[in-house]
Amino acid sequence: MAVTARRNGKAWRKIGRNAVPYLLVLPVALYYALFWLRPVVASIVASFSDAAGRFTLENFALVFREEDFVPALRNTAIIAGFSVTLEFFVALFLALLINRKFRGSGFFLFLSMIPMALPAAAVGAMWITGLTAHGWMNSLLGYLGILAEGKKLYWLVGSDTKLLATLIVIDAWQVIPSVMIILLAGLQNIPDEVQEAGYVFGGDYLHVLRKITLPLLKPTIQTAVILRMISAIQIWLIIVVLLGFSRLPVLVERVVYYTKEVDRLYIADQMAAGYTLVVAVIVSLAALVYLRASGAFKREGEQFT
Amino acid sequence: MTERRQVNIAKSARTTVFYIFVIGIAAIILLPVYFIISLSFLSTREAYTYPLPLVPALNTHFELRHGERGYLLSVYDRVEGGYESVLDTKDSKKMSEYMRYQLATPVTTEDLEQQFAKLESQDVVRFSRRRNLLENYQSFFRVSGYKAVPALIRSLQICALTIAISLSVGGMAGYAFARYTFRGKNLLKFSTLFVRMFPGVAIAIPMIKILVGLQFYDRPIGLSLVYSIGNIALTVWITASIFMGIPESLEEAAQVFGATKARAFLRITLPLALPGLAAAAMYSFLGAWNETVSAIILTQFNPTFSVIVYQTVLGAVGQVNLAAAGGMAMALPTVIFTFFIRRYIQQMWGGITI
Repeated sequence: MAVTARRNGKAWRKIGRNAVPYLLVLPVALYYALFWLRPVVASIVASFSDAAGRFTLENFALVFREEDFVPALRNTAIIAGFSVTLEFFVALFLALLINRKFRGSGFFLFLSMIPMALPAAAVGAMWITGLTAHGWMNSLLGYLGILAEGKKLYWLVGSDTKLLATLIVIDAWQVIPSVMIILLAGLQNIPDEVQEAGYVFGGDYLHVLRKITLPLLKPTIQTAVILRMISAIQIWLIIVVLLGFSRLPVLVERVVYYTKEVDRLYIADQMAAGYTLVVAVIVSLAALVYLRASGAFKREGEQFT
Repeated sequence: MTERRQVNIAKSARTTVFYIFVIGIAAIILLPVYFIISLSFLSTREAYTYPLPLVPALNTHFELRHGERGYLLSVYDRVEGGYESVLDTKDSKKMSEYMRYQLATPVTTEDLEQQFAKLESQDVVRFSRRRNLLENYQSFFRVSGYKAVPALIRSLQICALTIAISLSVGGMAGYAFARYTFRGKNLLKFSTLFVRMFPGVAIAIPMIKILVGLQFYDRPIGLSLVYSIGNIALTVWITASIFMGIPESLEEAAQVFGATKARAFLRITLPLALPGLAAAAMYSFLGAWNETVSAIILTQFNPTFSVIVYQTVLGAVGQVNLAAAGGMAMALPTVIFTFFIRRYIQQMWGGITI
């Protein structure tokens, strides 16, 4: 009896050892299955169902026929494209600056992380009070003498292009820190000697940056860009806070609009479900294309330590 | 000698230029923050003047004259550089209230009566009173007081639960990721991307049904379950990165001396990882504390603090300074945590890349 128990114990222990990583990952898998996969599947099913719950493709037809669909698609593409580019370059610049480890760089890092920490409501209040005609932006420009007395800039009215530009800059202000910290972590991981070697062999700063630092930083750059891209395509809150619904439609704004704002329209739920899947497909495709094009998939074998 | 001095001058000139440059960048980043903070200290009257004052006034200067209906109250306007009439009444209580709510300057009715009495002998009475700088903060909690304080407590509960769930569930997977090779490792890594690809708003709607089924709807635990979805994904990356930074050889050494794997983890790795994990917890806190959208959809009678602030911002047509105060009250803990997090960026993000 005792012998079998011991033998069993040994066998179990061996199985146990192999199973350890799976056991450790199991809670995550269960959690995602319960709280992520279930609502996602429900949402996908809803996008293929009509009001009575029968299978239909009508929802997508409704979405594609909506007059705001094309503008929403266009605006989303413009915002995502420009803001990811802008945010990446500014974030890289800041990360390189902070990584010079000058006196006070730690404090500067803290200051530049502050926008990231602010709640959406505070940021909304900040720009609402800033961008109205009587807001602090115009006040400041007036004090600085940039804006002639009695003159005002109207930030939140005008052409779509102007509004898009304003929104991209505002969004960048808040988002740049979260891109920057990922890049900074990557930069800090590169041993100083590697870059010093570049200088020893006669490279100047830009040369070392281009030939040594950036290639070594590539995986980090891909990580930062993909994470940012996924959320940039789903931007909507700041737009709605500043402009309200439907003024400058974007894809996720449409989802929220049909979910929250229109409840009298009988097809609202179907529209929301349709838009949701459209967004998810677009985000996944964009992510896939980016990872492919940037060569992230190729590295998989050798990377991963 | 001269040469060295020249080098020193050139060097300090370069340093100076560099710091001016850095300070300039910091100023651009912080300018909007400065204005929202400044706005949160302005009185309601000041908040609607144009151009906005750059700094809140510490004192309010009043002027009293005989008015048509009683006493005419004027207030010194710093921007215009003169007194502007604001109220004409003989009711000292009304005037005191106006001073408190519009000018954020507490003046008692007795005090006012005394000033009125002076008008018997002179035409103009001028006096200054100290402003209550925290007026907006106090009235934010007073106006939405019956909601704000319970909401604050709920938000803290939600944050604690979210941190507990995501750090335990995500931390285990992060450890597995850092120390073992196993099938599905790549899938785990990409899960952070997957869970972000589906719009969070869209998940919140079917989530209502699931939470109602669990009887978690409109309760802190329900929201923390939703917040944990995105948070776990991030925590897996961050904790994996933290554990990777702690040499496995330390654990092995402990095992050589007879400790079990679990004991080696608890006594060696965990204490070393603790500061990083604390930073990860603060990072989770930022997400859960600031989240507004799902909170709006998934609460009914028990809103979170972020929802209250958001409603003040959207509903504050006449009270931008109040909204600013609410926003800043909410931002305070996040900014403090950011101060601590900044030291652990490399630990948190240095380990994993796509």
